[in-house]
Amino acid sequence: MEQLWTRFSKAFLVQNRWKMYFEGLGNTLLIALIAALIGITIGVVMAMVNYINKKTGKLKIATKICNFYITVVRGTPVVLQLMILYFVVFAFWDNGIMIGAITFGLNSGAYVAEIARAGFESVDDGQMEAGRSLGLSTWQTMRTIIIPQAVRNCLPSLFNEFIMLVKETSIVGYVGIYDLGKIPGLIQSRTFDYLFPLLIAAVLYLVVVLALTRVLHMIEKRMAKSDRNAGGATNGK
Amino acid sequence: MENNVLISVKDLSKSFGELEVLKSVSIDIKAGEKVVIIGASGSGKSTLLRCLNCLEDPTGGEIIFENENIADPHVDINIHRQKMGMVFQQFNLFNNKTVLENITLAPVMVRMQKLRRQKHLALFGKAEKPTETKAQILAEEQEKAMALLARIGLAEKAEAYPSTLSGGQKQRIAIVRALAMNPKVMLFDEPTSALDPEMVGEVLDLMKELANEGMTMAIVTHEMGFAREVADRIIFMDGGVIAEEGTPEALFGNPKNVRLQAFLAKVL
Ligand SMILES: Nc1ncnc2c1ncn2[C@@H]1O[C@H](COP(=O)(O)OP(=O)(O)OP(=O)(O)O)[C@@H](O)[C@H]1O
Ligand SMILES: [Mg+2]
Repeated sequence: MEQLWTRFSKAFLVQNRWKMYFEGLGNTLLIALIAALIGITIGVVMAMVNYINKKTGKLKIATKICNFYITVVRGTPVVLQLMILYFVVFAFWDNGIMIGAITFGLNSGAYVAEIARAGFESVDDGQMEAGRSLGLSTWQTMRTIIIPQAVRNCLPSLFNEFIMLVKETSIVGYVGIYDLGKIPGLIQSRTFDYLFPLLIAAVLYLVVVLALTRVLHMIEKRMAKSDRNAGGATNGK
Repeated sequence: MENNVLISVKDLSKSFGELEVLKSVSIDIKAGEKVVIIGASGSGKSTLLRCLNCLEDPTGGEIIFENENIADPHVDINIHRQKMGMVFQQFNLFNNKTVLENITLAPVMVRMQKLRRQKHLALFGKAEKPTETKAQILAEEQEKAMALLARIGLAEKAEAYPSTLSGGQKQRIAIVRALAMNPKVMLFDEPTSALDPEMVGEVLDLMKELANEGMTMAIVTHEMGFAREVADRIIFMDGGVIAEEGTPEALFGNPKNVRLQAFLAKVL
């Protein structure tokens, strides 16, 4: 018992090591947040290109480029993508956190594109026709009518993507970025004890993910409620 | 007088891939005229109506509106669509906007666009500096929208979202949304077909009001009583061509085309 306490203390309390976990956690959340913002932007833009192409036949080349991007990003391991960006593309740059965030943002974009595509598909065709019949351009209608409804329709999935990113970004430690996943290794190199640092990091991930999942459920509940009462923005049929 | 013609359709054709839906259709719609289009399902009524404002791109022929051939892909169709209101079977109110926003959205956007363009030109001394402001435009359009809502007795629904309204309410709002653009012509594609029977009357009444005010209207409908009462001219479509046209008295009283006779026997 005593021995376990010493091991825990060495892993967490001695030399204020607990601070390292929370700094790591902060970096993890920062990377996930920036990555999610980049990913959602890229994904929504790509889904939009796809939608306009489907509805008007325009943007053929842009659609091909998007599909190529999605194929390549989904078809290669994210660790390799990280290494390519860290050691090659951004070799001159020493801001590891930003490079990690950009990598995961670019990666996540390819997955968000699928999510957002479903969001766009769930918007009734009549919405675009109504906008166009009033003399608005395709882009004006997209901006004010279609995109808000598409994003709203896939909001839970987009938030879920953020939760995934919190966990998945734990591999940025590979290239020496100090996120929460990297901290156990750092502490083990001082104390020669892996068990507690790993357990503590795992518990922190779990707590954060559970908390975020609760937020997700709250969003879902609110949306279901507003669909029943006012502001329902699902298929208008 | 040739001048009186608002929309002139010449040899209009439309195909979806191999399927030829409209075969060389020609009609003139005069200012103030009410044209009702009838015909069996699949005869091309919707396609004809949707070609009039190029929601479907015609494959051939001309549509002359305000001295311009709007079937030509080089013309800025948005400008012309602003003067052609369209009402759909499924209402198509914007789900993410309140009733008031549904009505003001397009007029405000269009006027803001003009304002920005004028400001830009003024910057280079090529136009007068605009005196309007965004707040003015917004206030004006909101006032206009509220007046339209009051007219159809739905002023208290201004802040409601479409999903909370009945079909009849939605369709009447869709009609005044189109009116807010001050269109020269209104196109209706089966405006009452998706409504519960008890709500058909309120929508038809509003349409009759518009007709009496002299609005130019092209209406696809299966409401034969309404057609008889409101139409100046009825067009019977069959297999992508106009099989017969004439006054309601002539068409309903003395139909010549055998397909029209069969169609009327079924619907009347
Ligand atoms: N976007 C499209 N793509 C392919 N075919 C189409 C399309 N729109 C219409 N059609 C076909 O064109 C033909 C005419 O359709 P249209 O909608 O104009 O008929 P309609 O007279 O309005 O019929 P209804 O009374 O059922 O509304 C139909 O055979 C229809 O299947
Ligand atoms: Mg139809």
